[in-house]
Amino acid sequence: MSAVPAKPPRNWLAWGGTIAFLVAMTWWSAHGIGFSLTELLCNLAGGSRLLQESWPPDFAFLPRLYEPFMETINIAIIGTVVGGILSIPVAVLAARNLTLGRVTWFVDRNFMNILRTLPDLFWAMLFATAVGFGPVAGALALSVFTVAVISKLWSESLEAIDMGMPEAVRAVGGTWLQMVQFGAIPQGLQHYVSYALYAFELNVRASMVLGLVGAGGIGMILEVQRANFEYERVSMIILAVLVAVLIIEQISETIRRRLE
Amino acid sequence: MDNNSNQGSIRFSDANIVYPNGTVGMKDLNLEIKPGEFVVIVGSSGAGKSTLLRAINGLNKMTSGTVEVDGEAVPQKDGRELRLLRKRVGMIFQDFRLVKRLTVMSNVLIGRLAHVPGWRAMLNLWPAHDKEVAMKALERVSITEKAWVKASQLSGGQQQRVGIARALAQEPAIILADEPVASLDPVTTHQIMQDLVRINRELGITTLVNLHFLDLARKYGQRIIGLRFGELVYDGSAKTVTDEDFRDIYGRDFTEDDVLDEDVVG
Repeated sequence: MSAVPAKPPRNWLAWGGTIAFLVAMTWWSAHGIGFSLTELLCNLAGGSRLLQESWPPDFAFLPRLYEPFMETINIAIIGTVVGGILSIPVAVLAARNLTLGRVTWFVDRNFMNILRTLPDLFWAMLFATAVGFGPVAGALALSVFTVAVISKLWSESLEAIDMGMPEAVRAVGGTWLQMVQFGAIPQGLQHYVSYALYAFELNVRASMVLGLVGAGGIGMILEVQRANFEYERVSMIILAVLVAVLIIEQISETIRRRLE
Repeated sequence: MDNNSNQGSIRFSDANIVYPNGTVGMKDLNLEIKPGEFVVIVGSSGAGKSTLLRAINGLNKMTSGTVEVDGEAVPQKDGRELRLLRKRVGMIFQDFRLVKRLTVMSNVLIGRLAHVPGWRAMLNLWPAHDKEVAMKALERVSITEKAWVKASQLSGGQQQRVGIARALAQEPAIILADEPVASLDPVTTHQIMQDLVRINRELGITTLVNLHFLDLARKYGQRIIGLRFGELVYDGSAKTVTDEDFRDIYGRDFTEDDVLDEDVVG
């Protein structure tokens, strides 16, 4: 065995510099938003009052959550299905090895990035303005959000497929579409299902938040109860949402693990 | 299957292929292959064996010169005309190239893609005639009983049989086999080579096979073509090819790595 070389000395200057930079950034930001620890401690009393008023959760309110909760789930399902379908061409054209030429790739790639950069709340407000407040706006917003999530992830796994099979399809005289359908997509199918389930999880969570800006579902009820200072109902809603999200994520994760 | 005798001829005229990185894949090739011939192409790796096969179905494009199939130049850009040519040219690969998650039947039907309307293939609504052609192709390589098994569950030799069946399902005039036995064991290798020879005799499909092993070339080839650095350095009958000729093709003495059955090396 050869001798282990001496461990190189740690670069203390870089370490100290990084920590100093992080401290300075944090201080600057806290100053910028007027964050003060003393004020926070004074306000803790108000916070604890809120907690007291929220306890116990108003379980009698639970049955009235059923309908808006189903609406939330429906919004998430529609968003996932519509977005999931639309994301297929977006992802395929954004994959360098499958796309139809440089220009298409460039346009599609940028389209995808724009979708991803704008947050789901922005889309909810946009669609609420366009088609009116309600679940339809929420479903449309989540469709766009889903396209952004799936197409980005999936285009990357499509770029990693073995190009032998697509070439074999071209060699039998297949068209571009057939090359994609028979040569590429079967290899990326597992990933696609996995990403679609992941998008569904995100959509259930997001559709609750979207309700806050008037896109229907359980978020809308939450906002109404909060505005009326019905904190025991608010805590009930939060509890119900927590349990529901955990259950859905558990199911989805189990399916996804089975796929791999 | 409708292979009449004037189908499946190939002619290279002053053909050159230089890859973008400067590698010469084909140099001043003039070659004529008649319908129904069984040609084995040998040469060390990088000699241009794959380049030659892939030029015939337009997977590799010419830098200069032409390649013709049945007197018509192979189109040098992707599109409908090239697809029509590829429809008549089956290809078999070293790594089989099957969709592992799909059944054997679905894989063989891929060979029918260019024969049916696009919407039918897309929706998996294959006409009865095409399913029959696919089934007959499976019969030809005696693997019908695996028709509904997933491709991933087959052995290497069986997968290559499915690869051959897919090519046969095209009802091709030419079959190009690019190192078809390179990932198979010796016993399976001989079976696959015998299948290829038998299909060539029974159906008269012009067959070009790239081989690395010299003894296989000698045993199964009718005509042997030797390539070295993209150039044609040997063209003759498999019956008369000598060890000296092989030395010229490979540019060196050959070793036991160049033969499948080691005891052949004298």
